[in-house]
Amino acid sequence: MVCNLLTFQLHYKGKSNIMNFLLRLTGVVCLFATTGATAQTQLSDPEVASVAVAANTIDIKYAEIAKKKSKNSEVTNFAETMIKDHNAVLGQASALVKKLNVTPKDNAVSQKLNSDAEKTRNDLNGRSGTDFDKAYINNEVAYHKAVIDAVKNVLIPETENQELKDLLTNILPALDTHLQHAEMLQKKLAK
Amino acid sequence: MRYLLAGPLIYCLLVSCGERQAGAKNHIVLIQGMKFQPAELTVNSGDTVTWINKDFVDHDVTEEQTKAWTSSVLPNGKQWSRVINSSTDYYCSIHVVMKGKLKVN
Repeated sequence: MVCNLLTFQLHYKGKSNIMNFLLRLTGVVCLFATTGATAQTQLSDPEVASVAVAANTIDIKYAEIAKKKSKNSEVTNFAETMIKDHNAVLGQASALVKKLNVTPKDNAVSQKLNSDAEKTRNDLNGRSGTDFDKAYINNEVAYHKAVIDAVKNVLIPETENQELKDLLTNILPALDTHLQHAEMLQKKLAK
Repeated sequence: MRYLLAGPLIYCLLVSCGERQAGAKNHIVLIQGMKFQPAELTVNSGDTVTWINKDFVDHDVTEEQTKAWTSSVLPNGKQWSRVINSSTDYYCSIHVVMKGKLKVN
């Protein structure tokens, strides 16, 4: 099955690390797409829940780095919104899995997300000033695009439980708004 | 003599205010799906607009140009009202791409 590759348009120039990051993120998207492409379900509902938790937690951790390192108030305000909103999603997910008596199950997709995110965090932690701001926001644009694609094309189709499906559907507008916000900042930082 | 006129004058002011309030409408804007619904609303001067947050994330309602007024943070289920006397653009200062317009006839 052909991987569903996304093209990320970057305004950030110069650092080879960001290209390594893109390759890793593209690999994650391929992993998402491949698992959804076969006729049989590849992710169980507990595994879908684990991926959803991982995806939200990862963005919270990126935002925590941004709040510590950025001196740009628009970037730190964006990061604060990411922390609040993704924690709100985690709250919804936590309440639902409790209600459904489901335990999120770690799996290859969530593990890959987490291991790649650790590399990205190390990359971000090595940057400072406007270099950091651009890398963080560029990452947010790319990450939200990948997550939106994965939720729409892999997680929702793979989910059996209707309430979990509905939760994933309901978070899409927030993810889309985050992406628009990040793209707005990306244009400003590119000037 | 001044005090004799004050009573009827105050009465007239109260009646005219009451008449304006009686004609004023309350309009609802839902904050749902990360949008103000409706995003553009036309009202008469003196009408009230009530925003209700139906999303699970916090929002606010803030005048866009000069930040002249704001609802402050509205968690899920909370609402906030304002009497509208002039056209204005507003937005959510938490999710700055969320925008709305109020037009006064």
